[in-house]
Amino acid sequence: MILRHGIKLDQQKTASLRHKIKDLPAPEETEPPKRLPPRKGELNAAAIIAAAQGAGIVDEFDGVPLFQKLKRLRRLKPNMIVACCFDEDPCTTSAMATLRENTNAIISGLVLAAQACGAKENKIAVATRREAKIIHKINSQADLIFAGERYPARLLLKKKLFSSGKNAAYIGAQACAALLAAVDDGDLQTSAVVTVAGDGVEHWRNVRARIGTPLKDLLEFCGVSEKTTLVVTGSSITGKAVTDLNEPVSAATRCVIALKKAPKYREYPCIGCQRCAHACPRGIVPWKVHQELLSAEPDPLRLTNVQKCIRCSACSVACPSGIDLTGAVQKAAHLKKSGDFLDIT
Amino acid sequence: MTLLNAKAPYLKKEASVSSMMRDTLIALAFLLILPVVRYGVRPLVMAGMTLLVCALCEIAWSLLQSRSINASDCSSMVTGLVIVLLMPLNAPMWLPCAAAAFAILVAKKPFGSTGHTPFNPAAAGVAFATLLWPQQMFAYFNPSAHEALPAFADCNVGTVPSPAAVLKNGLKPDILPMDMLWGVFAGPVGTTGILVVCACGLYLFLKRTANWEITACCLLGAALMAALWPRIACIPLTSVKYELMSGSLLFCAVFMLTDPVTSPRTWLGRVIYGFFAGVLIMLFRRYGAYEQGAAFAILIANAAVPHINSLVCGDRRWGEELYEE
Repeated sequence: MILRHGIKLDQQKTASLRHKIKDLPAPEETEPPKRLPPRKGELNAAAIIAAAQGAGIVDEFDGVPLFQKLKRLRRLKPNMIVACCFDEDPCTTSAMATLRENTNAIISGLVLAAQACGAKENKIAVATRREAKIIHKINSQADLIFAGERYPARLLLKKKLFSSGKNAAYIGAQACAALLAAVDDGDLQTSAVVTVAGDGVEHWRNVRARIGTPLKDLLEFCGVSEKTTLVVTGSSITGKAVTDLNEPVSAATRCVIALKKAPKYREYPCIGCQRCAHACPRGIVPWKVHQELLSAEPDPLRLTNVQKCIRCSACSVACPSGIDLTGAVQKAAHLKKSGDFLDIT
Repeated sequence: MTLLNAKAPYLKKEASVSSMMRDTLIALAFLLILPVVRYGVRPLVMAGMTLLVCALCEIAWSLLQSRSINASDCSSMVTGLVIVLLMPLNAPMWLPCAAAAFAILVAKKPFGSTGHTPFNPAAAGVAFATLLWPQQMFAYFNPSAHEALPAFADCNVGTVPSPAAVLKNGLKPDILPMDMLWGVFAGPVGTTGILVVCACGLYLFLKRTANWEITACCLLGAALMAALWPRIACIPLTSVKYELMSGSLLFCAVFMLTDPVTSPRTWLGRVIYGFFAGVLIMLFRRYGAYEQGAAFAILIANAAVPHINSLVCGDRRWGEELYEE
């Protein structure tokens, strides 16, 4: 049997990809955005990193400032840099929409990022072959690789490239486009593309919103229903619930999901179906960890690989019994690190 | 608009325990269609009564334990339906009911319900009925006689030996191959329609509710035994054909062995388990006192599961070395 890690999720991307990215109208009293002073001297790695720092670009995939990331990568010397233009979350499409509308800007931005960190190869990662066809229609020169639709796509891609001997670095699609704008025109990163989805909003859309806009404005623009009881930012798998809609949009906000009803999971005992072990991209066997934690004296030697957990929650989503396996693995990792359960007397 | 603070994940899951059980229930219900079309409503009445007994036993146990009644996972219904499908259609109504009551009250609930049962409850129920009432368990009416079966009352119809019994006596069953595939021969209600069982199995494997490895290895083990040591004087292929298609072997391999709770948790473990169960079923057929010993074989295989689990290392402890972040 071919073991494929990750889980296949029910994709709901067509609704928000049907329309182009819409600009959220800005309030009137805002002052025009500032620009960076024109660059002096040639365009070298230091100049690109300085532009990224000056424009305040944040990588939307991990929320790290881009200049820090590029500096770190310069030290680590990757031989490949990959722009992540796929969305792991089943109803988010912000990266895909950004790539479709700014293909050339992302390619140029990626070349700049590759120059900044000294990577020889640069590639754009898209989810499927169908998506690749669309991109090739726009720019037939685009160098694409496939990440697949299984969750967590980014990690599985990382694993695939790592096993083929590539030491790859990853950068977000919007960060690439913002880097090009900063280097070419001196624009600051002032907006982020956010997908608004979920059954609580009328129109599923990709919206370009100014950073700092309250989530309330964004949801009202897409026709939020009064019955919405749960608003989630980040991702429907690892994201967090928002209780105050005045919370601002940040550069790392890729989606806002409004739901009428919070999904309820009944918890059953583990039935040993192995789905969590198949889902885990890091080689952890979550049901074993869960079972070990339930025993009276957890044995640290049996809590294998728990320190490798990246909190992707694939195991919790895969579990038909509704057990909080991510929590169990986290707890085990914490126990293992602290050594609390070792009885040294 | 008041917002809740719920915990991640916020997705609707593709599978839950109850949806898996529902899949199994649908597959089992399909097996009832052919008998109902052929012999009238008796199979439905039998299934209904057994399910009622299962539900009553669940409720009674919950009341005894003073716990809230929780039957949302449908597992007791699966147990009940499997038991009905392993009974002859002309058996008295109390027989599947007694087996189901034993399965729920002795083999399932005392161990802590679904997820904790060491033995397959349905197999335990059938084994119980086989040991106590072998005459009723192995008396099959003749399906080609076209006799009408009453819906509720006890049947007083003539019985014929099933192909499994004929094989047990060392003779070759006299049935047309097409009749065997469509289930026009004496045997338990749900196990004779070979084609329907195969289709239901395929549905469960594609839905990923059951593991195909167990079924495949069980059939492989049984087929090897049948080919190497045939019970009747014929070429190995004929022996394999009759052994696999008679009795409850195929049904048990598809519906009972694949129960995730009582099967091993690693791939290699499941392969060993399936093969072991297949060989055991054939040994019970050959040397056992009854014409069918699949239920006993499953119970013994279940007992071996913890040992298989600890033998086969499940962790990828020495496996692929992962990159560091």
